[in-house]
Amino acid sequence: MHRAIGRSSRQSAAREVDDELAFHLDMRTRQLIGQGVPPDEARREALRHFGDLERVRTSCVTYDQERLSAMQRANVIDEIRQDLSYAVRTIRRNAGFATVVALTIALGIGANTAIFSLVHAVMLRTLPVPAADSLVALGDPAATGSVFHSSAPQGEMFTYRGYTLLRERSRAFSGMLASGRADRVQVITDQAQGEPDRPRARFVSANYFQVLRVPAMQGRTFDGSEDASVGASPVVTVSHSYWTRKLAADPRAVGREILINGARFTVIGVTPEWFTGEIVGQSIDIWIPVTMQTVVMPKRAWLTESEAYWLILLARRAPGVTLTQADAMVQRDMRGILGEIGSFSAKDLADVTVPVSPGARGFSRVRESYGQALVTLMIGVGLLLLIICANVANLLLARALSRSREMSVRLAIGAGRGRLVRQLLTESLVLGALGAAGGLLLARWGSRLLLALASDGSPAIPLDTRLDLPVIAFTGAVSIVAVVLFGLVPALRTSRVDLATVLRASARSLTGASGGWARQFSTGQLLIAAQVGLSLVLLIGASLLVRSLQHVQNAPTGLDRDHLVIVDVDAQSRGYAGDRLLTFTRDMSQRLARVPGVAAVSWSENGVFSGTESHTTFQVPGFVAKAEDDTSAAYDQVGPAYVRALGARMERGRDISEEDIATRAPVVMINGAMARFFFGASDPIGRSIQLGDSGTVQVVGVVADVRDHQLTSAPERRFYVPAVRNRYGDPTALSFEIRTTGAPGPLVPAIRKAIAEFDPLLLIEDAGTLDFAMRQSVREERLLARLAAGFGLLALLLASVGLYGVMTYSISRRVSEIGLRVALGAQRAMVLRMVLMDAMRLVGMGVLIGVPLGLAAARLLRAQLHGVESADTVSIAVALTVLILSAAIAALLPALRASRVTPLVALQQD
Amino acid sequence: MLDPDGGLLRGTLDVLILKAVSWGPRHGYAVAEWVKVATGEHLLVEEGPLYTALHRLERQGWLTSEWGYSDNNRKARFYQLSRSGRAQLRSEVSSWQKYVDAVTRALSMPAPRSA
Repeated sequence: MHRAIGRSSRQSAAREVDDELAFHLDMRTRQLIGQGVPPDEARREALRHFGDLERVRTSCVTYDQERLSAMQRANVIDEIRQDLSYAVRTIRRNAGFATVVALTIALGIGANTAIFSLVHAVMLRTLPVPAADSLVALGDPAATGSVFHSSAPQGEMFTYRGYTLLRERSRAFSGMLASGRADRVQVITDQAQGEPDRPRARFVSANYFQVLRVPAMQGRTFDGSEDASVGASPVVTVSHSYWTRKLAADPRAVGREILINGARFTVIGVTPEWFTGEIVGQSIDIWIPVTMQTVVMPKRAWLTESEAYWLILLARRAPGVTLTQADAMVQRDMRGILGEIGSFSAKDLADVTVPVSPGARGFSRVRESYGQALVTLMIGVGLLLLIICANVANLLLARALSRSREMSVRLAIGAGRGRLVRQLLTESLVLGALGAAGGLLLARWGSRLLLALASDGSPAIPLDTRLDLPVIAFTGAVSIVAVVLFGLVPALRTSRVDLATVLRASARSLTGASGGWARQFSTGQLLIAAQVGLSLVLLIGASLLVRSLQHVQNAPTGLDRDHLVIVDVDAQSRGYAGDRLLTFTRDMSQRLARVPGVAAVSWSENGVFSGTESHTTFQVPGFVAKAEDDTSAAYDQVGPAYVRALGARMERGRDISEEDIATRAPVVMINGAMARFFFGASDPIGRSIQLGDSGTVQVVGVVADVRDHQLTSAPERRFYVPAVRNRYGDPTALSFEIRTTGAPGPLVPAIRKAIAEFDPLLLIEDAGTLDFAMRQSVREERLLARLAAGFGLLALLLASVGLYGVMTYSISRRVSEIGLRVALGAQRAMVLRMVLMDAMRLVGMGVLIGVPLGLAAARLLRAQLHGVESADTVSIAVALTVLILSAAIAALLPALRASRVTPLVALQQD
Repeated sequence: MLDPDGGLLRGTLDVLILKAVSWGPRHGYAVAEWVKVATGEHLLVEEGPLYTALHRLERQGWLTSEWGYSDNNRKARFYQLSRSGRAQLRSEVSSWQKYVDAVTRALSMPAPRSA
């Protein structure tokens, strides 16, 4: 069947038609001659009888060609079906082998899919709102959190006034929404039970849902009228998740009254399940109209404070306005507004730039913190997949050898080489498909595992890692690439068996080595070398990241890291303020100090490793600023004996005292970095610093640098002022720092209990050891280092198994040769050395590939390395040692087996 | 109404070809001869269109062809009915019959009485 079609190709279709028509005309001519017509006239008569010869010929050829190509198509489909069923049969016959291969592929594809689903969720996916592409983010897309108080105008976040003015003025947008954090919100949904919960809430402008085009699933969303006047719209929209969790998914929940920080609000609607807010990596439970901010947080006047930069803006481009145009218009409008409302200097104004960027992907801090790590991991799993492909290729190659007889027979009976390649590729494709299916299953579980690893002990980041279409498309593409990578080489190699070689090889031979086999082995060798090289790349990356993490985790913190418990409490909503707050902190500190095992207690506004920081600007008499931020520093308001409680060290002078706080003394402690920056080598004690317009404070102490909030960067300039009733107003937050004599962890429950006894209604926001908080602060680094190490070890394992396989195989083929050598007097040690050297030659090749590649890859890692050079010799040495040791172990077993070969065994073998 | 190529009623050439090969493989010349004899030399004006039709029917899957030897031992292309071709012939014959019956009945109607 195929043969016939093969022969009647398209050119021959025309020839056949010619032959056919010639036959007809001949017959007709003969018939006419038979009737007595003269020959030359008979020919003419036959032609006349026939009609338009050329036209008939053309249409016949056309019909034939159409028919042939249709048949060829059908034929190809038929062959594919044959190949598939043959592949399935082969795979079933070798179920064990196929399982190993499919699982290996599943591992690689699963890891790639899992990482990609995170990359997709964090970096690529657009907000699930209609026409997300027309959204524009104003401000820093990574800014989602704190309230900025600053005398200079901010571009990252906006004041409420700035927002309303910009919204009114801007012609670039058809709508502009504002959204700001609402922390420390306590909600009572069921007043009978009265058990408060702490949902994630945000204050949003009344047009929020209209601009985002998010409809209500139950009830209604805000209609735009809610921010008409301050404090007049006690309504909230809740998320589907909150409605399910806290309102029992009750349709009658719409219209229900709930208490937010004690104020009555009405639930007016529930959003659809797919909408969790404009911030990726943070799902919002409750949206409150922005004008209700003062009702929810009566102590804070964020709507009117001219320095409260707390809103992020998302706008929809007006039709016909490009992003570039919108950007220019925003800058112009913002300068105009700031010029009108603020008393900003011209220099300040010139410095303000509002970042304007595409808003389709929403805001996300996660994107900034994890983005690079994810890209690094993506490259890592890509390498892992390459190694897996090399490994599988080798397995297929080894098995293909056992099929060389089958292949040569098939070639001999006339199967084309192309057909055989296709056949073998189909087998790889089926294996790849099995692997991809397994990989998808693995990825579902893997991406959840990754999220858990990423959050490292705290609640998992809410990210949508569904395996949706783009992710599945990615998996499909990766699988196809993988199939080509691991399938093509064995297919080409296997189909190139030549008959004579195979037949010769099956005849008994003492040398054992034959040309065909040597060729096979060198492909296998190359694949092993590639695996070794790629593993080395991963190992170098992993050891660099691990070393960097070690460096970060062991960085001198300047405080007693192993003996500190940090407790954040919400004193504000319990009404502690002014003198009451002062009394509260004193009494609470005394109570905590009585807990057995506690050595010292103090407190501060921002705490340590809380993620909240304050910055301010000031003047130092006699110091001339060269740059804008030369006169700014981080600061904290602290309680008495703060330095002692932290277990930090005074370089000079004294700690803040109880008396400083009681008398509102104008004193300040500065850290070493600040002392060196402003006062150089001279003694800062007694020098003064002018904070804002009001008041000068005197330096009474220099604290040795403490890493208060970050392990990854050097301590910045920082000062500490006595808390309460100073110019900064009451602390907005309160953390107790409790130093213990023994391990701090076990003391946490006792500390919680002591607080509860002191004030049962005081909310403990967080209580844990500093060490935990510090480890949390480097969880991106930890995630990266852990996963990189995991991938590196997996790669190493695969490469070792590959090496073991190749060596075992090579020895099994060389038994006769080895036997001969032994018979000729070779010692066991010599055989052992010979085999090990063979293996090491492969490893050496891999190292030659791996080291330069690894160094190049390490340069890409530079941004993620802290305190470690990208060409760190220790890391490279560690990677090389681990690699060579594992390779040696992998080669040792086959080598030992080889050394036990005796001439007798060799003779029995073949 | 007449096929411009074949001088036949449109579609009738196809059914005649199918009929011609219904007793066994025939080459094009034999089909032409049969059509000529069977229709009393009236219908087939030119022979060329017969070949166009043969190739079209083969593309359609109703005929299959094979090279063989003619009675005088020359290489010729023989056409044969496929299974679907046979079904097609049956259905065309029956619809042709119905058509002819209908037209015949109409043409043999007596003149209407009131007109």
